[in-house]
Amino acid sequence: MTDWSAFWLSIQVTLCGLAIAVAVGLPLAVLLALRRFPGRNLLEVLVTAPLVLPPTVLGYYVLVSVGRSSAIGRFWESLTGGPIVFSMTGCVLAATIAALPFVVKNSRSALEAVDPGLMEAAANLGAGFPRRLWTILLPLARRGIIGGCMLGFAKALGDFGVTLMVAGNIPGRTQTAPLAIYDHLLSGRDAQAQGLVLALTGLGILVLWLVNTWANPRPTDRRS
Amino acid sequence: MHPCRDLLVGMLLCVLHSGSLLNTAEPLIIAAASDLGPAMDELKWLHPQPITVVLGSTGLLARQIAQVAPFDLFFAANRSFADDLVRNGHGVADSAVLYGRGRIVVWTRAAAPAPAPVTLTDLLADRFVHIAIANPEHAPYGQAAKEALQNGGWWDRLEPRMVYGENVSQTLQLAQSGNADVAIVALSLAVAAPGGRWMLIDDALHAPIDQVAVMTTQARDPIASRAFLAAVASPAGRTIMRRYGFVLPGEALDSTLLRTPDAP
Repeated sequence: MTDWSAFWLSIQVTLCGLAIAVAVGLPLAVLLALRRFPGRNLLEVLVTAPLVLPPTVLGYYVLVSVGRSSAIGRFWESLTGGPIVFSMTGCVLAATIAALPFVVKNSRSALEAVDPGLMEAAANLGAGFPRRLWTILLPLARRGIIGGCMLGFAKALGDFGVTLMVAGNIPGRTQTAPLAIYDHLLSGRDAQAQGLVLALTGLGILVLWLVNTWANPRPTDRRS
Repeated sequence: MHPCRDLLVGMLLCVLHSGSLLNTAEPLIIAAASDLGPAMDELKWLHPQPITVVLGSTGLLARQIAQVAPFDLFFAANRSFADDLVRNGHGVADSAVLYGRGRIVVWTRAAAPAPAPVTLTDLLADRFVHIAIANPEHAPYGQAAKEALQNGGWWDRLEPRMVYGENVSQTLQLAQSGNADVAIVALSLAVAAPGGRWMLIDDALHAPIDQVAVMTTQARDPIASRAFLAAVASPAGRTIMRRYGFVLPGEALDSTLLRTPDAP
C-alpha cells in the first residue's frame, strides 16, 4: 500500500546531509573545544542557531542565499548546470542544516570531557597534534560524537519546513518522506501515509533509545 | 502613590478594558483558500463585525475543519472539498453558495530578461527551466493547471520541469523570487501581485474551478456567518469578486483581466 520511494529518498538525502555535517561539524567541534579565539562564542551561536530558529526563517535564509537569483546560486548553476533549489542538492542542504547543530554540540561536549592531562602527557612524550587527535581525543570522545551524529540523523530525516520551501516537492526527486506524508494526508490517502508515519516514528524512537543506552548512558547503567 | 506605579496601573486598566471591548464583538473566523487572500482583504470590510482570515490550501483547511477547527466559514477553491464537508456532517448543506469561478494564468516576472510566454506552447522553450504549479494532488489550482497542460498535449514534455508549491500562493512566491521561471497560478493572485506579467489560460482546457463557500456546523454565530455569505453575493461583493476575476456562470470576464494591463 505504502509507496516507499519517498522513504528511501529521505534516507539517501539524510545520509548525504549527515556526511557533510560531520565533515564540517567535527573540525568545528575540535576547534571550539580546544582553542580560545575571538568570535568563538559567535561561531558556536551561528552553528547551533538552527536548533531554535523557526523552519520558515531558515527556509527564507536558504532561499535568499542560495536561490537562483543569489550570487551563490548563480555560481553553483554555472558550475553544475543545475540550481541548488528544486534539486536533491537542496534537500541535502536542508538535511545538513538540521543535523549540524547536534553534531557540533554533542561532539564538542564529548571532546571537552576528555581529560586534558592525557593530551599533555602524550605531547610530552613527543606525539604531534594529529596523532593525539587520532589516537586519544577522537577514540575517547567517540560515544558522544556518534550520539550527536545519530541525533543529527533523526532531526535531518524529519526536516519539513526548510525542505518544503527550497526543494519544490517533486515526487521521486525532491519529495522526502515528511513531505510525502503531508501530501498523502491532505489528499485523504491516510492509508498511504500510515506506513511512512510508522517508519519515521520507529526510526526516531530507535535512535533516541540507542543514544540513551549506548552513546550517552546514565552513570548507573555504565559498565566498565 | 509612586508616579511609576500610577502609570503601570493605568496601562493595566487600559489593557483589561480593551480586552473586554474586543470580547463584545468576537471576530468571525474564515478559512479561505489561498487564492482568496487579496480579495478577502477587501471583502471583510463589507461586514460590520471584525473578521479574521486564515489562508491555506483547500485540502489542509478541509482536514482541519473535519477535526473541528474553530472556523465559522469555509471558502473552498473547489466545490468537491465543500461537498465532502457537507456529506461528512461538518458543513451546513443549505448554506453552500457558489461565489465565483476561478481562472488560471501563466505568470512571469516583469523583470525577467527573457520575453514572457504568449501562448502555452511557448512554455516548451528551453528558457523556462522550472515551471511552478500548486500541488495537483490537493490544490484545485494545481489540478486545473495540470489538466490544462494535459489537454493541450504539453504535460508529458513539461512534467520534468515541474516544481510544486504547497498552495497556489506559495507557487506564485516561487516565481516572484525568481527561483521558478514561470508559475501557473490563480488570476485573483496575479491581479494583486506586483512586478509580474500574466496571460489568461483558456478555460476550455480545464474543468471549471467552481469555488464554493459553506458555513461549518461548528460556527459559533450562524446569523453573522450567513450575513457575510450574503454580503459576498450582494452587488458590492460581486463588484469586488469580479475585479479579482471571479465570475459567475453567465457573467463575462472583465476584458482588462485577459492579460497584464500595459504599463502607461
